[in-house]
Amino acid sequence: MKTFEEKWTAWIDGELTEAERIQFEASLEDRVAAEAEKVQSHKLGALLKEQLRPAPMNNAEFFNHQLLARIESETHQSTADSRPVEQIRESWWTIRRLLWTGATSLAIFVVCAIFVIREQPEPDQSQYLTQILNATVDQTVSPNATVSIFQTKQDRVTVLWVDGLQSLPADYAAK
Amino acid sequence: MRLRFVLLVAVLASLGMLPPAARAGERIWSGLVVATNRPHPAVMPPRPMHRFHRTLQRTFGYNQFEVIGESRKTLQAGQAEWLAASKHFSLRVDPRGVARDGYRVHLQLFQDRQTLLETDATLSQSSPLVIRGPQIGAGQLLLLLVVQ
Repeated sequence: MKTFEEKWTAWIDGELTEAERIQFEASLEDRVAAEAEKVQSHKLGALLKEQLRPAPMNNAEFFNHQLLARIESETHQSTADSRPVEQIRESWWTIRRLLWTGATSLAIFVVCAIFVIREQPEPDQSQYLTQILNATVDQTVSPNATVSIFQTKQDRVTVLWVDGLQSLPADYAAK
Repeated sequence: MRLRFVLLVAVLASLGMLPPAARAGERIWSGLVVATNRPHPAVMPPRPMHRFHRTLQRTFGYNQFEVIGESRKTLQAGQAEWLAASKHFSLRVDPRGVARDGYRVHLQLFQDRQTLLETDATLSQSSPLVIRGPQIGAGQLLLLLVVQ
């Protein structure tokens, strides 16, 4: 059941059915005043529509251009923001490259090891003693000098024992 | 990410495991030592001689060993070096490279500018070389070489 205000609004807007309109107009006490108010309402509506219409733009193309440029820049910025994440995920050291690098390093190591083992066998020095291959004393300075070589059992010290060298005064012990 | 890190470490480790061919050469301590007899000798001789100073005492019959010149150098094959030197003595070494049984060197002991002694030797890390030099006063000059 519509109230009077609802019927009044619908009557002014012309939204009542024919039967409702006849019934409503019959219920009005002052029909002339109501019609005048209806006309005033229509005039007010028309005036508001006219006044509240957006002003036409003189530079619509420039505005569109500015708007498109801004949208484009914001799109680029959002793309740039998402790039570091991709860079972190896709660094140069991919799994495949790491595997290749590792395999290459191992291959180089094996090649080097083979060459070194062939050319310079590492002596196990712990089983060898220091050897004197030859020794000569200047015969013009020490004509009676003799040389002998031996090794001590303890500490594996190799001794080149030179006898007959010219004795020297104590100041030859200077540092 | 963790897997990549492990792989990277493995690569670097394999590079670090290169064979000792890259080793620079033998590091040798050499010393000119005057051996004497003292009533109160020093308890311990200089550090490189700790291991075999009792053998020196027994072999040469002295109880005091004083270093009058010393040197620690890493030898490179083909590069002659001056090693231990004192005021009147100096030692020159000409490395000849690594052999199966040790490190080949040609040694020259100089007294002032005169060659006193020349010798070719193969040095072993576990076996020091001691050369008995001239008598000096009441003591004895010894020349020591230790591969370190």
